[in-house]
Amino acid sequence: MKRILIAGVGNVLLGDDGVGPYVACLLASRYDFAEGVRVEDLGTPGLDLVVHLSDADTILIIDCVSDDKPAGTITTYQRADIVKHGASIRIDGHSPALTESLMIAEFTSETPKQIALIGISGKPADGVELTPPVRSALDPAIEAVLQQLDLWDIAYSNKKVSSPLEVWWEPVMALL
Amino acid sequence: MSKRITIDPISRIEGHLRIDVEVDNGAVSNAWASCTMWRGIENILLGRDPREAWLFTQRFCGVCTTVHAMASVRSVEDALKMEIPLNAQYIRNLILIAHGLHDHIVHFYHLSALDFVDVMQIPKADPRKTAALAEKLSPWTRNSANEFKAAQQKVNAVAASGQLGIFANGYWGHPAMKLPPEVNLLAFSHYVQALEYQRKANQIVGMLGSKTPHVQTLQVGGVSNAINLDNQATLNMDKLAAIKLLFDEVIPFVQQVYLTDACAVAALYNDWFKIGRGVTNYLAVPDLPLDTKGTQYDLPGGYIMDGNVSGVHAFKTAADQDFRSGVAEDVAHAYYKGGTLHPWKGETVPDFTDFHPEGKYTWVKAPRFQGRPMQVGPLAQVLVGYAQGHALTRKWTDYALDQISAVAGKKITVNDLHSTMGRYAARAIRTAMLGELAQKHWQLLVENIGKGDVTTFNPPSFTSGTVTGVGTHEAPRGTLSHWVVVDNGKIANYQAVVPTTWNASPRDAAGTPGPYEASLLHTPIADPEKPLEVLRTVHSYDPCMACACHTFDPSGNNIAKVKVL
Repeated sequence: MKRILIAGVGNVLLGDDGVGPYVACLLASRYDFAEGVRVEDLGTPGLDLVVHLSDADTILIIDCVSDDKPAGTITTYQRADIVKHGASIRIDGHSPALTESLMIAEFTSETPKQIALIGISGKPADGVELTPPVRSALDPAIEAVLQQLDLWDIAYSNKKVSSPLEVWWEPVMALL
Repeated sequence: MSKRITIDPISRIEGHLRIDVEVDNGAVSNAWASCTMWRGIENILLGRDPREAWLFTQRFCGVCTTVHAMASVRSVEDALKMEIPLNAQYIRNLILIAHGLHDHIVHFYHLSALDFVDVMQIPKADPRKTAALAEKLSPWTRNSANEFKAAQQKVNAVAASGQLGIFANGYWGHPAMKLPPEVNLLAFSHYVQALEYQRKANQIVGMLGSKTPHVQTLQVGGVSNAINLDNQATLNMDKLAAIKLLFDEVIPFVQQVYLTDACAVAALYNDWFKIGRGVTNYLAVPDLPLDTKGTQYDLPGGYIMDGNVSGVHAFKTAADQDFRSGVAEDVAHAYYKGGTLHPWKGETVPDFTDFHPEGKYTWVKAPRFQGRPMQVGPLAQVLVGYAQGHALTRKWTDYALDQISAVAGKKITVNDLHSTMGRYAARAIRTAMLGELAQKHWQLLVENIGKGDVTTFNPPSFTSGTVTGVGTHEAPRGTLSHWVVVDNGKIANYQAVVPTTWNASPRDAAGTPGPYEASLLHTPIADPEKPLEVLRTVHSYDPCMACACHTFDPSGNNIAKVKVL
């Protein structure tokens, strides 16, 4: 059985950086996936990511991207874009993130990984809320995820009844 | 003439750690440690329910998430003066131990070993000679010539491809790299094996915490792991046995491989016992509680001033009165408004000015204990324990010092540990101790469940009025404390004084530098363009700027830059 990981990464305390976990929660609440698919909010892993990457043959990462495009722009990156810059000089334990974790996972495993990254342009900032343009990009980001799954021939279906959305870090609207 | 070197992941918008050093006549003459990112977590917590604070605090960081969850629940429990069920103490202890084992393995092999191990020398090594050397050093069963040959072939393949991948940007061939090819191969082969064992340790965190990173099973008042030996969905004998099997694999790795390699590297680079002394005030809190009230601990705490190890002061509890009253944070050189405040009165009001070495230059506050900068981390843990005659600390420290002395061909003593290499050695010693304590706490948990006790949670109750609490944890990087003020059941103030804040502390109002800054002084620099020696000392603290942000930067601009002016 193919092991497929769909992971939202990012810091939910830093504004738009929390978009990856947010999209992962939305996917888990709205869709059923084929056997072997895991949907995870992986938060802010450093080298912890290696374990998750090693355990999967196919990996789809959803993350905030810092670039010059307007906030909310969605870009799908393929493997070559992710590994093209190699490892950096490590100053602290946070430095080895996605690129380096992927290289380590592949260095020790027999088979290369199939990987793509759905990037949502945004700006990390204080606080637990997404900025309006990134919030508007949530549904398009889910579309981009599903399109990538279609390309990989990975099945999913709409849930008849959505399960609760576990975006626990957002202020509870009902109380406002 | 003096040169200024800046090492900074400058283009990464969230930034992390920046180090500036001045070099005069081939050695560091002045140093500044700076965190380039604002951390506003404290403000996010204001007004929230204290029972959920731990879910937020463990998202501070991408490396040590578990520790912030633990310190947070302990701070609220301290404020409410709660007792914690024995099972919950043991389960938490096992999570902390497993996390510590994982974290230290990763630090040594994957974050810092390549400062000492020259991967590009490995093709020259003879795998059979490497196996013969390994057999002399350790009984580890995976030290065969075939194992070393396989590791060598992986490196050969990477070198031949011209795409260095994970080994891009190493300082290969640097004049400060000194290991013989066989030792480089030995250590590198264990780097590969370490990937398996750090993962097994992390699996234990996942099994008891239900998720890693970011455990889910802590609660203010205990843990949410249900115990029922007859139920497949709870913590039962099968799961406990699976946890034991994982520990049984990880413990020999840390005691026979990690500790042995750390001792060999320390012996062959023993000049680094004379470099990086820095601040010799040490602080550690007791941890791994053995009873519900937190009066007995398996790991001792206390403090040492001015390197006077025999004058150690012990802490009786994890929130000792001396500790509670002794901590304050100074913001004279940090980008905050306000003066020197105790954490319960602490403020987080930004006042950014850019990098001014004589003025404000970092987002890290300067924590002080009894007005002094303190070094925290494994070296503080080992020295504080050793000075108090703590048997387990003495056993593994003496063992390590004997191993280092034997390989170095000269006597290395506890007095040599006040150094960059002392911090690497102490971390390996602490890891070996944690391995032994893993077995003990697993046994304690199983025996306690065997007595029929399945309680894991005491519900908290909040009263009206204001209460204050401090939760501590002696984390892999050192003393961590969360300070909470609860007002009518809501958070009125929250401050985290984290290990890297102690170690990466800037100068205080009196101009006294923090541990990173002080320990970089006099470090010899062979090549200012490749400041490997600076990285060795900075890495000896295992820096973890508590400000993780994992925005993917497709331009590759997150590569750290070295600027020489």
